[in-house]
Amino acid sequence: MCSYTPLELIYAAGFQPYRIEGHAREVNNSDSYTHANMCQVVRSTIDIAAEGGYDFLDGIIFVNSCDAMRRLHDVWKNFFPSKFIHLIDLPKGDIDPIRQAYLREEFQRLKKALEKQASKKIQYDDIKKAVDTYKESRKLFHQMNSLRLSAPPSISGCEIMQLISEFYSSDPILWNERVRTLIYEKNHVNSNEKINKNGKPRVLLSGSPLYNVDFVSLVENCGLSVVYEDICTGSKFFDLNVRTSEDILNSLSEAYLNKSPCARMMKIEERIANIYDAAKKYNVDGMIHHTLKFCDTYLLDIPRLKEIMGKNGLSVLFLETDGRLGSFDQMKTRLEAFNEMLENKKWSEL
Amino acid sequence: MMEKIMLQNYFKQSVSALEKKLNQKVTGRRRFVYEMIKYGSRIFNNDRILGLTNAFVPYEIFDSMNISGMFIEYLGALISLLDNSEMFIKEAENMGYSTDNCSYHRAGIGLIMKGLITEPEILVGSSIPCDGSVKTLKRIGEFYNKDVFIINVPIDASESSLDYLVKQYENLIDYIEDKTGNKLDEHKLKKSIEYNNQAREYMLETYELCKNVPSPSNSRDFNNFIIFMTTRGTKEGVEIAKIYRDELHERINNGISGMADEKHRLLWFQNRIQFKNNVVNHLEEQYGAKIVFDELNQIWWEPMNEDDPLRSYAKQWINCPAGGTAERRIKHLTQLVKDYKIDGVINSGHLGCRQSLGESVIIKNALQKMGIPVVELNIDCVDKRNYSPGQLHTRIEAFMEMLENAKN
Repeated sequence: MCSYTPLELIYAAGFQPYRIEGHAREVNNSDSYTHANMCQVVRSTIDIAAEGGYDFLDGIIFVNSCDAMRRLHDVWKNFFPSKFIHLIDLPKGDIDPIRQAYLREEFQRLKKALEKQASKKIQYDDIKKAVDTYKESRKLFHQMNSLRLSAPPSISGCEIMQLISEFYSSDPILWNERVRTLIYEKNHVNSNEKINKNGKPRVLLSGSPLYNVDFVSLVENCGLSVVYEDICTGSKFFDLNVRTSEDILNSLSEAYLNKSPCARMMKIEERIANIYDAAKKYNVDGMIHHTLKFCDTYLLDIPRLKEIMGKNGLSVLFLETDGRLGSFDQMKTRLEAFNEMLENKKWSEL
Repeated sequence: MMEKIMLQNYFKQSVSALEKKLNQKVTGRRRFVYEMIKYGSRIFNNDRILGLTNAFVPYEIFDSMNISGMFIEYLGALISLLDNSEMFIKEAENMGYSTDNCSYHRAGIGLIMKGLITEPEILVGSSIPCDGSVKTLKRIGEFYNKDVFIINVPIDASESSLDYLVKQYENLIDYIEDKTGNKLDEHKLKKSIEYNNQAREYMLETYELCKNVPSPSNSRDFNNFIIFMTTRGTKEGVEIAKIYRDELHERINNGISGMADEKHRLLWFQNRIQFKNNVVNHLEEQYGAKIVFDELNQIWWEPMNEDDPLRSYAKQWINCPAGGTAERRIKHLTQLVKDYKIDGVINSGHLGCRQSLGESVIIKNALQKMGIPVVELNIDCVDKRNYSPGQLHTRIEAFMEMLENAKN
């Protein structure tokens, strides 16, 4: 579920990683399993699980990414006993050798658990091969994402989010092939088609996990171009670099701990710096910060973000939704107003 | 500043009033509240370095380095108790803090942002019990332009996890020394284990007495007793525990029950309601229902080793029922229900407490399997703006009916 899950180990064990995304509809079944004051990601995941929608999985790996996720693990263990349930204990805060060593141990524990589940020993070469495969996925994603650098972008935010969503349920080798083809196609697209996509204000999307392509679609339908997602379910997911060494579990723990941090990691300075880097790289006109209702770690970043972003001149629209499509629609007026403001700003700067 | 003077006066008057009462008669509750008020007055003390934390940190390390530890949730509870939380909560909300975030933290932030406490020199956040408290400390750290030292308490209590936590405590000591120049007094730290063990023994005896039917304690004797953790490793902590033990012994010897007619024995899960409310009175007067034990007051750790204080504290906190997975908490909770012959459980269901709300259904189910009814009040324990006694009474009424049926 969490972007700190080492996909490489799951793949090396011979399993196909599948990222649980929940849904953006009304939740019907969750209240019998947990409190209503939990975020949509947790509640909709339970909703699907309660209806047997995840029965096809061989197991599930949680990370104690936040209090709600830790409790989702507990709910799952209690009510949906799967063949395999594992919880990774991820340290938070600044990275130091002690924390990295601890996460390495956690990955070692996961490796052993997966070996038991798969009835096979995971060798160094298995992990190395998986690391290389995912490295290729990340490289291809970045190539694809660089198509958003142009003005107008050669690929929309919706297309990217769709592609990322496909990644979460695909064999990475097949996904890599598909992306290679797509990059080729995009690079050879009719130039007229490019021109028809006007120079809309370019926005960066940040905040709580957001799987829903419809939200990005709404933003883009309001006249904005989403050119980067600083969210763990968007472009940021691919900002991870594994430097292989003889101790490959150490390489993985180093890579995952050093990846662009989410709010839960308690490193807001780094988070903001990464947002500014991406904003600069993708020539962003404004940022949309979306928080899910009851998502404590992101909600508690808002006062600081408001303070810093206000000083640094990046226009930000702060949105909070319950993660459902209905609540997205209510945002339309605010998105349109934000678009208008960015348009005016662009014109005044000319 | 008016608010600060008022708060300082509250502490002064409370200390003075309690001293008078203690001169008349010493009770466990009086002595406990007296020490906790004294503990709270640390926030104005400029003579000793203040270390701001969240709830579950080893305060004994702070004390042994001549640092006054103070946890953010105490501040939230305090101003709620003073019926004064609204102003501070609104202060935080005006800064952009969401009404969905825990009000203990919002109130604490408001209090701090209004400049009502001495500036802390160090800030330390533990990964248990919740993310929100660590993040709150981060925001407060930014206000003071200071870092926050984060302790990651592992979920499982394996030997290697213990090593990891001990190393973090060692780093914490280095960090405090580096930031403040205060050195660790190893003798004091060792002595804190001795006090802890003595206090633990007295409290175990005290709690053992509470298992009597009827229990010699009343619903208020151990209200908010979780704060005792800040004093447990001190001479005063031992004294409080001993007074409680002796007092309850005396009550039993004299045939005195905590309340006149104990019909139902309740366990309170999670925090109590901090602002003035009539829930406890209503339970006692209307239904003869008494809170016999609070889940957060339990002693879950074994006697500690004076020769290895850091590992001892690591063992204590790594096994804390409110940390880790729900499985651990349920195990403790079900044992408490059996030990204290509990008829029903009240879960305050503090709105904004994700870690606790998230497991509420699992806990309810586990207890109901034992035939123990549970009521979730779903109340904000600090922010009284949405407090509705009528609604609460209706819930309690339904719960008591359930409880009567279950007993019959």
